[in-house]
Amino acid sequence: MADDKPPQDKPTGAEEPDKPVRFMRQMVSLDYIAHQSPLARRYGAALAEKRVVGQRCPKCSLVYVPLRGFCPLCVVEMTENDEVDVSDHGTITTFTIITPIQYYGQQEREDYTLASILLDGADQTIGQQRLGSIDNSEVRPGIRVKAVWKDDLSGAESGTGGAIEHWEPSGEPDVDPAEFEEHVS
Amino acid sequence: MAGNEWTLEFPYRRSVGPIVGEFLTALRKGELKGARTASGRVIVPALEYDPETGEPVEELVAVADHGTVTSFAWIAEPKRHQPLDRPFAFAHIRLEGADTDLFHLVDAGSEEAMSIGMAVEASWRDERDGSITDIAAFVPTGDA
Ligand SMILES: [Zn+2]
Repeated sequence: MADDKPPQDKPTGAEEPDKPVRFMRQMVSLDYIAHQSPLARRYGAALAEKRVVGQRCPKCSLVYVPLRGFCPLCVVEMTENDEVDVSDHGTITTFTIITPIQYYGQQEREDYTLASILLDGADQTIGQQRLGSIDNSEVRPGIRVKAVWKDDLSGAESGTGGAIEHWEPSGEPDVDPAEFEEHVS
Repeated sequence: MAGNEWTLEFPYRRSVGPIVGEFLTALRKGELKGARTASGRVIVPALEYDPETGEPVEELVAVADHGTVTSFAWIAEPKRHQPLDRPFAFAHIRLEGADTDLFHLVDAGSEEAMSIGMAVEASWRDERDGSITDIAAFVPTGDA
């Protein structure tokens, strides 16, 4: 049957001008502003200065990145006084290769890799980090990477995606996964 | 600004069925049709069922492409995706020959030009695709 296409692919009145209209096109659209917490604002402000900031728990000394305001293990508050800079170098712990489906609004065309990265000086990985200058097929846990900062940091307030172009191999030797297995999150 | 701007949107198509399909097909021809119920009321835009009885409508009949404004809301600052990029009115319009109001827009230039009871007529697009926007807007009678 000609009708076995999903509705989003069926012709509208414009596409079949000689046939009765059977489908209509509609759009649901919402513009909104996501207000940031004070923690996210401070994290973004540091990124605008090419710094990655975390918080060190005053009790157990674990360093959390990004800022989260409390240590969930010790159940104690962390404040500005607990903020510490961590490195913009780190180690890939886990990753996902994404094949972008070409739905409406998709801006990606090629397969790409997002990784969780354990930054030097941090105990928690940052997730969803874009990799560059490396083939998807070459990505593996333990690779050492460094941030490639954007020239224009005006989008830094939205997080690492607005401040860092991607992460690329730093050339240092791989880290044995046994060294970071406690930190994979 | 203490936040990030985002847009969430998705386009989709939906099947319209035979009655609304005939209404839209008429629009593509530059004609307006309403659904006549068993009691003789004419509903515009066409519905498949009489909202008062739940019975199927009997047939589609032609209505005029002009009528009067029964209520309106002035849109001073149109948003993205709204039908005009200049101030306009969303309005209920009682077409001649219809017993219900059609929701559409009136392009009258200024809020002062709007009034309940004003006479308006459809301004049709030259290129029509079988959608309600085949009528670009209603305009004060005589302005089309
Ligand atoms: Zn702690």
